[in-house]
Amino acid sequence: MSSMPPPQVPEEFRVLSMMHNIGAITPERSLTADELAQWTGFDVAAVKAHLQKLREGGYVEFVQVSGIEKYHVTRVGIMKVLTLYS
Amino acid sequence: MLTWEYPPRVVGGIARHCEGLARALGSQGYDVYIFTLDFPGAPDYEEQGAIRIYRTRSEVGHPNFLTWVLLFNHFIEKRMADISQQVDFDVLHVHDWLTAAAGIGFKHFSKKPLVFTAHSTEHGRSGLHIPDSFTIDGFEWWSTYEASKVIVTSGAMKGEVCGHFHISDNKVEIIPNAIDPSKYDGSVDKSAIRARYGIQPHEKLILCVGRLVPQKGIEYLIHAVPIVARRRPEAKFIIVGDGWYRDHLEYVANTTGHRWRITFTGFVSDQDLVALTKSADVIVVPSVYEPFGIVALEGMAAGVPVVASQVGGLTEFVEHDRTGVLVYPRNPESIAWGIDHVLSNQGHAEWLVKNAREVVQKAYSWEAIAKRTGKIYKEVAEKGKP
Repeated sequence: MSSMPPPQVPEEFRVLSMMHNIGAITPERSLTADELAQWTGFDVAAVKAHLQKLREGGYVEFVQVSGIEKYHVTRVGIMKVLTLYS
Repeated sequence: MLTWEYPPRVVGGIARHCEGLARALGSQGYDVYIFTLDFPGAPDYEEQGAIRIYRTRSEVGHPNFLTWVLLFNHFIEKRMADISQQVDFDVLHVHDWLTAAAGIGFKHFSKKPLVFTAHSTEHGRSGLHIPDSFTIDGFEWWSTYEASKVIVTSGAMKGEVCGHFHISDNKVEIIPNAIDPSKYDGSVDKSAIRARYGIQPHEKLILCVGRLVPQKGIEYLIHAVPIVARRRPEAKFIIVGDGWYRDHLEYVANTTGHRWRITFTGFVSDQDLVALTKSADVIVVPSVYEPFGIVALEGMAAGVPVVASQVGGLTEFVEHDRTGVLVYPRNPESIAWGIDHVLSNQGHAEWLVKNAREVVQKAYSWEAIAKRTGKIYKEVAEKGKP
């Protein structure tokens, strides 16, 4: 069997979870990477990297508002977040 | 009824449980009010026959999970207080600790009895290793303390709840989960479904459905893949669900040398899940902690042989070699044996399925479960009268 130690909750999942908990779950409640960095305590570069991975998984989407990307959790992303606590 | 998940906000068994119970209670003449959280695309208020669903948006968020839980509980309680201006509730029924703060607060405001269903415990789910877990454990104890009656879904959970929270045996009632077997009545084009997931007609489809979290034991099934493949070169595995543990499980799958046999689908629609379940040759439930195990019951209703871990509630309806096959938890050899045992003898597998269907139809209908729940409502409402 694998000798890898039991994993911790991945950092991008923590970002996803925090986005959900602060209410960024619909396009009109989307937040910029800068705002997400302020809320979550991660630096902006880390948040952007995590958002990229989360987008690839279909867990977050973004909308363009005045040329700025604002992110929110998708329905699938919400369901993924809930697996942590259900 | 208070629950943090209610369709279309569905993750684990709680949403399905609440929906099935609410519908059955509604058809038995109860007026059911559901207080739950909002979900994108779902209306804030909805009527489904005798069921009224209030989906509440938390007006204030917070990145910390426990703070967020307390905040949304406040807004749910506020909504209940508003609705109670027009409706005199008889009983409050809280499902799991996540909406307990609202339920307990409203209990003291309204002087109505509280019923608490403990679907699982933090102690069982995660162990008590971090401060948040101790807080959740405290919420769970508080809920059992405030409740007039505690419902659990299996004898194993009753033992866990009574032992861990030190509450008296006669305060806790076992009412199992249920399912709607009719959803498996329709026909399915099995070869088309299997083809969509890359399963050839001669191959065996081994299905596992669940949240991708450690307590579901899916890594032990993945470790069993090479063992099964030695005996059954035609075996393919489909893992349905998602969760924070997915990356790790995919890593483990990559180490087996049989990655091509394993498909992770993520979440699928209800319709696809029914079709996949009916198209499977075996359903495996490899949990290491399982208060009930509704996925096994779904498999039994769908007419698919079930191989399940000998843990928790699973042992109370999967009878070894009569309604399914029980295997040792955390044991890939045993899981592989169970799968091979079912696939090796078609006649025996059909007999297991026949027995399993009879058990599901007799004891696990929502109608029966709602009657038993209704009896508890009447009992606590009667006791609560001055």
